[in-house]
Amino acid sequence: MIVYEDVAHAYAQAPSLRGVTLRVPDAATTALIGPSGCGKSTLLKLAVGLVWPMRGSVTVDGERLTTENIRRIRHRIGYVIQSGGLFPHLTAKDNVTLAARYLRRDRAWIDARVAELLEIVQLPFELLDRYPGELSGGQRQRVSLMRALMLEPEVLLLDEPLGALDPMVRFGLQEDLKSLFARLRKSVLLVTHDLAEAAFFSNRIVLMHEGRIVQEGSYRDLVERPANEFVRTFLRAQRVTPDA
Amino acid sequence: MLRWSGVLLMILATSASAREVIVGSKVFTESVILAELATQLLDARGIETVHRRELGGTSVLWSGMLRGDIDCYPEYTGTLRGEVLASKSLQSDAQLREALAQMGVWASGSLGFDNTYVLGMRKDVAQRLSIVRMSDLAQHPELRFGFSNEFMRRADGWPGVKQAYGLPQSDVRGMQHDLAYRALVSGAIDVTDLYATDAEIAHYDLFALPDDRRFFPNYDAIFVCRSSVAEDVKQVLQSLENAIDAQTMAGLNAQAKLDRLDERYVAQRFAVERFDVTTSAGLDTRMSRIWQRTREHLGMVAVSLVAAIVIAVPLGIAAYRNRNVARVAFAIADVLQTVPALALLVFLIPWLGIGYGPAIAALFLYSLLPILRNTHAGLADIGRDLRESAEALGLSPAAQLRYIELPLAARSIIAGIRTAAVINIGTATLGALIGAGGYGQPILAGIRLDDLGLILEGAIPAALLALLAQGLFGVLERRLVKAK
Repeated sequence: MIVYEDVAHAYAQAPSLRGVTLRVPDAATTALIGPSGCGKSTLLKLAVGLVWPMRGSVTVDGERLTTENIRRIRHRIGYVIQSGGLFPHLTAKDNVTLAARYLRRDRAWIDARVAELLEIVQLPFELLDRYPGELSGGQRQRVSLMRALMLEPEVLLLDEPLGALDPMVRFGLQEDLKSLFARLRKSVLLVTHDLAEAAFFSNRIVLMHEGRIVQEGSYRDLVERPANEFVRTFLRAQRVTPDA
Repeated sequence: MLRWSGVLLMILATSASAREVIVGSKVFTESVILAELATQLLDARGIETVHRRELGGTSVLWSGMLRGDIDCYPEYTGTLRGEVLASKSLQSDAQLREALAQMGVWASGSLGFDNTYVLGMRKDVAQRLSIVRMSDLAQHPELRFGFSNEFMRRADGWPGVKQAYGLPQSDVRGMQHDLAYRALVSGAIDVTDLYATDAEIAHYDLFALPDDRRFFPNYDAIFVCRSSVAEDVKQVLQSLENAIDAQTMAGLNAQAKLDRLDERYVAQRFAVERFDVTTSAGLDTRMSRIWQRTREHLGMVAVSLVAAIVIAVPLGIAAYRNRNVARVAFAIADVLQTVPALALLVFLIPWLGIGYGPAIAALFLYSLLPILRNTHAGLADIGRDLRESAEALGLSPAAQLRYIELPLAARSIIAGIRTAAVINIGTATLGALIGAGGYGQPILAGIRLDDLGLILEGAIPAALLALLAQGLFGVLERRLVKAK
């Protein structure tokens, strides 16, 4: 469980978060949505210590993040970004196993875990020896997901993981991810700018605007009881009316 | 030392066949050139001759000749009068010749130059202190003297000069002759002893003080031989009488010492020019000369490049991590890069002397910037996504550097090292200007002697080496950089 308590943050040019309080529960998917620059990616980065709050606190399973404990906590969190963030000089397998090897995990354990993950993300074994440049966009995101899941984290942070994929690939991966989340029962925090995708993954959608949370609830809550004019505008801009 | 040289001489002598003439030389360039010239001319006359080079000082050669280990060697009349036969206090050349004959030694006439001692100063220092002759030195007790060790001991050296000119100086040190030149040029000493035909006098722009009280005896160069050597040997050596004036000798010395030409080659060229005699110098083949210079050149480039990598790569990493380090490091490296190579070498000579030291230091300094810049750029160019991904995996900063950042920057770093290597291979040719050898030697000598073949002997291997370095680093890059 991740708990943000009145978190504020600013980049050099402008404030990005202006006091956010949010609980990300265990064994459920929470979808973060909002226009570009609303602070949703910053919220993810705060949970792995890539940026630090200027005010407030971030706790993971009751432990408040500090520069001392952050590296240990990172091993309990999987982080996937839009571009995948795979290291181009390492094969898919070396990308996946890097952290485990760094932590000197047993080789047999690593091999067993890799086999398990291949099944979870549904990738053929042969792809493991390829370099990221030799994989398709969808394959890259599956490898990236394997890397995030390698150390059996309790929490998964996904920053627009499907944003760069074409619609067909994206559709397939959405299906796979949803069943994967249901099966793994992890605490998932998913950032997307696509309301349909948010609604597909979760009935807890958190809508952000200009560094604040504007509304929290299911898709139906947002549509039927928009908190303010911005929510209405945001919904209109999505141009979709799925049956949530 | 003396005894060992004697033993060595005996071994050498017994290994030579009874008929051949053995010419010896002392441990300095001029003696080697003269002995080599004699050897080649004798050979050209059909007299089988070997040159035992650089056997030692006067006493080794003299006693070796008396014992019969060698037959002839070049000597100076002043040395014979003042040192070898000092007890006889001989005044004239005729008396000397007579005394030598009594000892079973034959002497040629003067070869044409008087290689006497002179005291030398830097021209600018002499001008500042208004010193125009040796007796002026008495007015400057503060001057620091550094003399060759032999000069310090000899009766016709410092002890005699001190007495004859009433010199008051107390800071007087003995040092090796070549080191004394460097000390003089760098200003560590003010006065040293020189030989009149030294190549360095003109090279370092030194002022040779006139001996106004005529203290130093004549040091006419001659050949001395055992009287028993064949007449035709004596004839050949007599053909050298008055054949070489002081300026010519200084020029030959310069070719060997400053242009680093083999003494055998210097003698051979002179034999052709002066006597129209084509001699067989028994020179190293062109290939073996090139190989020798390749080793010198590669040595300079490799040592400086490795040192630059060891310093510049970590500095580039520090600059990438800390903006202030980057500012200072780049400012210094940029300035260094703008200093012309020649000027840099000259700046370094007072600290490091001449030879390998300053050449390697200069090449090292030139290699810093490309490696530093490319290391920094390679690291800074890594996308934020990748840096954050590495961090989010929970790797320590050291592990991020080792597994992610350095491998990703490897292409750029190797490119920087390649640039530095190619620049170094070119710049190292200037090392020859300060006695560090390498491909620059034949280029410089070729320019001085207007010999295109000699220039190409340095220029072609240098170009090939640069191409080779390019290729090797290309292979290295493909091996190390795996990203597809």
